[in-house]
Amino acid sequence: MKSAERTRYLASLAISVLLALLVGALIMLATGHNPLEGYGALLAGAFGDERAIGNTLYKSAQLCITGLATAVASSSGIFNVGGEGQMFLGALASAWLGTLLKGSSPWIAVPACFLIAILAGAIYAWIPAVLKIKLKINEVITTILMNSIAIFFCTYMANGPLKTAERGVNQGTDALDKAFRFPRLIRSSNLTETIFWIAVISLFVWYLMSRTTTGFEMRLTGQNSRFARFAGLKAETLGILGMLISGAMCGALGMFETFGLQSRFKPDFSNEFYFDGMLVAMIMKYKPLGTILMSFFFGALKMGAVTMQSRTGISSELILIVQSIIIFFMAAEEGIMASIKARRTVRKAAMTLSKEVTG
Amino acid sequence: MQFPDALANDDVSLDIHRGEIFALVGENGAGKSTLMNILYGMCTPTGGEVIVKGKRVQRFSPADAIAAGIGMVHQHFMLVPSFTVAQNIVLNDEPRRHGLFYDFRAANATVERLVAEYGLRVNAEDKVQDISVGLQQRVEILKTLHRGADVLILDEPTAVLTPQETDELFDVIRRIVREKQMTVIIITHKLYEVMAISDRVGVMRAGKLVGVCETKDVNERILASMMVGKEVLLDALERIDDHDATPAIEVRDLHVADNRGLPAVRGLSLKVERGEILGIAGIEGNGQSELIEAITGMRPVDSGKVFIQGQDVTGKNPRQIRAAGLAHVPEDRLSTGVSAQASITENLLVGKEKDARFSIGKFHMKKQAVHAYAQEVFDRFDIRAASVDKAVGSLSGGNMQKVVVAREFSFDTPVLIISQPTRGVDIGAMDFIHKQIMDKRNQSCAILLVSADLDELYRLSDRMVTVYEGQITGEFIPSQIEKTELSYYMTGGRKEDANEKR
Repeated sequence: MKSAERTRYLASLAISVLLALLVGALIMLATGHNPLEGYGALLAGAFGDERAIGNTLYKSAQLCITGLATAVASSSGIFNVGGEGQMFLGALASAWLGTLLKGSSPWIAVPACFLIAILAGAIYAWIPAVLKIKLKINEVITTILMNSIAIFFCTYMANGPLKTAERGVNQGTDALDKAFRFPRLIRSSNLTETIFWIAVISLFVWYLMSRTTTGFEMRLTGQNSRFARFAGLKAETLGILGMLISGAMCGALGMFETFGLQSRFKPDFSNEFYFDGMLVAMIMKYKPLGTILMSFFFGALKMGAVTMQSRTGISSELILIVQSIIIFFMAAEEGIMASIKARRTVRKAAMTLSKEVTG
Repeated sequence: MQFPDALANDDVSLDIHRGEIFALVGENGAGKSTLMNILYGMCTPTGGEVIVKGKRVQRFSPADAIAAGIGMVHQHFMLVPSFTVAQNIVLNDEPRRHGLFYDFRAANATVERLVAEYGLRVNAEDKVQDISVGLQQRVEILKTLHRGADVLILDEPTAVLTPQETDELFDVIRRIVREKQMTVIIITHKLYEVMAISDRVGVMRAGKLVGVCETKDVNERILASMMVGKEVLLDALERIDDHDATPAIEVRDLHVADNRGLPAVRGLSLKVERGEILGIAGIEGNGQSELIEAITGMRPVDSGKVFIQGQDVTGKNPRQIRAAGLAHVPEDRLSTGVSAQASITENLLVGKEKDARFSIGKFHMKKQAVHAYAQEVFDRFDIRAASVDKAVGSLSGGNMQKVVVAREFSFDTPVLIISQPTRGVDIGAMDFIHKQIMDKRNQSCAILLVSADLDELYRLSDRMVTVYEGQITGEFIPSQIEKTELSYYMTGGRKEDANEKR
């Protein structure tokens, strides 16, 4: 984004966020709660103690990697709504390989599981990408439908063929070797060592998108694929590449969840993580750096909401409202700016015309 | 009426009488369609008034126009493909039973009545997606008649029709005018059609109505010269003559289809040598766009061959064809020539990003080097913008075009394909771009130039060919042919006919 435009965008974003929080406060008042108390509990829930900070950081990392996955695919021209399914397949594939490799060295097993996770995610993203580029089949529809296929498939596997024999576990694969798991960084919080790997992946994606020829060509393809083809870029390959990277990232997150928090594949491990990240990316117009930063805000909001509900009784759904209002304002922003611009142009045109007539 | 930057209709006054067929002709962008869109309420005039049937109308909208009995059939049809003919015709005014249920039978009956009344044969129950373009046009006309129009505006009605369909359309028009006292306005740039169908004709040029005549008092040559007008005077460009006879571009018996799959280029052959500019003159829609797209790999070739620098590039993709030594300024800069959201820097860089001077290992971009390069080109091509970081979409047409020309010309290829280099560009930028083109020629590039602007072709070309309906109708040296005569070939005249008429 160009600097003036960026300033303007950040300003409208700040205003949108403030207004949304204000609306949130009004709703709290209307439902008989004290907004200060509510937001106080929210802050405490997000940053109140070590554990809260750990949870917030981990939630932010989740949003960050899924947001970037959306951003990469979108900026090269394909809207990946299928990240959830790609994540499930990555999680299941890595858990499956992890149980097979039980007892072997973690230095071999963990990278191998990581590899199979990103492969599973990438391959599952490749299908809708090829359908879109070769046959012009709308990717939004295919990816959404493929989510259900993947989730049902994984759920079936975790309840059937790959179900653990362990007692007291009613669905899920065998537990992974302790040596394979990512240790927790803060006790009893969700924060595991995977956050470092998520950070590495996020930095790499940011670098790829904003500092390399490949990222440059991917962006141009997403902006105007006819132009990309005209200019001699491999537009089709670049579009597919964006989806492959996006799917691989989702697959990686699936593995991190499984090898970090869960210790085995469980079909209920995700609470639609991908869609939360997708929203963050959309708000930040698929800009990598903006998506990374915005993840922290939404991460705090999400984690804080849980504490807010338990302490003050304000429903955590309120945060969904706040989030939706921000998105709504940011969507309206474009329309409002466009209409101001159009009015200016008309006024200018009328002035030149009257000058021509009188002069 | 005014578009943000240009006056499309400049002080036009025109009377059209009941029961006549009035033809409106002019070159591309002369303002014909704008004038008719004002009449139909789709554009609001910035000054002046419209009087329909003695009543002055203000704040005109298409709904008012329909109420006043004006119907318009656009170049692009506005039909629902999955609906039947009858459903389309009664759309928005469906007959109902008990005021609730769609009465299909009544709709069909209405259409059959219309068909019988006006003699426009269509089958009410066919789906629009299954019928020919000619029939779809009939459905459009019936739709306006159903709404009670007695003034019919047809925007380039024959552009999509076969000659036989055109004849049928003309029969229909003559009949409805004669029997129903309808008024028909036809917008066209095919002069023989004007002669064939109209009672009177108005000629537009550069937004002005330059003349209204009884058709019987004029002929195609007179109309062509009115359309062309006199030229804007610009300094002559320096031309160094040392072209060598090796053809750098060669097209052999090329056949190309348009988006609808109909033949657009029909057996066209041409050669361009190094150090010469070959200009292609023709009214838009006669296969020029498809020809250029086929040469540059943006459109598949049906048959024939294309050679660039002696290399057969037929059916290759744009990437491979560029590698053969070609750069291309496309006709539509916004959809093809730039990425509007990307910055000037990025638009200038495309295609060179993997050069060693701009990236390490074809991967890591050298930000500084890229910026310095963009700044240098920005200055050299005199692109007017606040900075090289501005989005190209925010630039004026002239500056956007300079970005395209700057990028393509700096590939330093031996072959240049240039389409409409100065469309919608102000005169200063135009002169600048012309000089750049001439410089390239003088550095012994082979240049194929397509333009709708005859002055431009005369100024730049070493040779010119006229195209009409996908075929070359003549080859000329600019200094040896009058514009009037050239327009005659552009509108379908052949050398033999011209000699007879003289």
